Amino acid sequence: MVEKWRLLDTGLRDAFYNMALDEAIAIARSKKIVPNTLRFFRWEPSAVSIGYFQSMEEEVDIEACNRLGIDYVRRRTGGGAVYHDRDGELTYSLIINEDHPLISRDFQKTYETLCSGIVRGLGILGVPAEFKPINDIVVGGRKISGNAQTRSMNVVHQHGTILRDVNPTLMFTVLKVPSEKIRDKMIKSVKERVTSIKNYLKREVSFEELKNALIRGFEEAFNIKLAPGKVTDFEEQTAIKLKMEKYSTREWNFKR
Amino acid sequence: MLKAEYKVKGGKLIKVQLRKKDDRIDFIKITGDFFMHPEELIEDLEKTLIGCSLSETEITETIKGFIRRHKVSLLGVAPEDFAKCIIKAGGNNG
Repeated sequence: MVEKWRLLDTGLRDAFYNMALDEAIAIARSKKIVPNTLRFFRWEPSAVSIGYFQSMEEEVDIEACNRLGIDYVRRRTGGGAVYHDRDGELTYSLIINEDHPLISRDFQKTYETLCSGIVRGLGILGVPAEFKPINDIVVGGRKISGNAQTRSMNVVHQHGTILRDVNPTLMFTVLKVPSEKIRDKMIKSVKERVTSIKNYLKREVSFEELKNALIRGFEEAFNIKLAPGKVTDFEEQTAIKLKMEKYSTREWNFKR
Repeated sequence: MLKAEYKVKGGKLIKVQLRKKDDRIDFIKITGDFFMHPEELIEDLEKTLIGCSLSETEITETIKGFIRRHKVSLLGVAPEDFAKCIIKAGGNNG
């Protein structure tokens, strides 16, 4: 019997809700009131997220963000700062019980296993992607997806980005660079190190096409069936509370 | 405030902010793009380092002890890397 997981597509939401809902789903999963879940989401307005251990002031050009109407939020996962473009990027989350056979005690191994769904999905689109330790997916050596994981309450939560299109110039307008002098150099270096589905395939791939490929990728890689579902009332209420009391607060976002 | 950055080869970036008193750590903040689980223990780790002398061995052992006691997992960094960055910051006399 193929295991059935829930598929959520929460569309365009703001950064604080997006991060709050991820945690709310993890809480609901830990209470065993929802099944293992794959969630797709996007960011409106575009936003910057930073890793749990990063300093907001050091990583993000707050003034540029405010000027451009770009949100900034701290994640519950470690890793680096990411610019989430409204139209360039698709974000996913996986929320899985920790004693599931896909989950190893070894974090590195679990990254590789969970990323295999994305690798397979990109392969379906004709993008020969590979997992690159620690937490990246690359094509031709260039990064196309970054991923971050945490565990708590016997639940594994991994989220990550898939670049449909990329704009390194905007990326470095909102992320801090060590000095203005090297901004251009860094933009150039990102252009060499980062790619997107559009860059690789030389064609526009819609969000629908990308999501469909990823759904198949995860189903095949994990041997599961993804059934479209809904955010439960419990998750929605918890997300609203977490957004208000945690992810939208200065206390959380500037705590390091 | 003393500051240093240390990029782990094949791993992540560590940034340390430090204040010292009589060659001991008086204040420390460790930031960066590494992974540590459970995440919320970073502040306890920082507290544990206060009063530690600026010796690479002592700092490494203190961090290793903390990790053992609290069953912490690190990814992209090792206790030795944190220690190197802390020593580097401690040497940046400001």
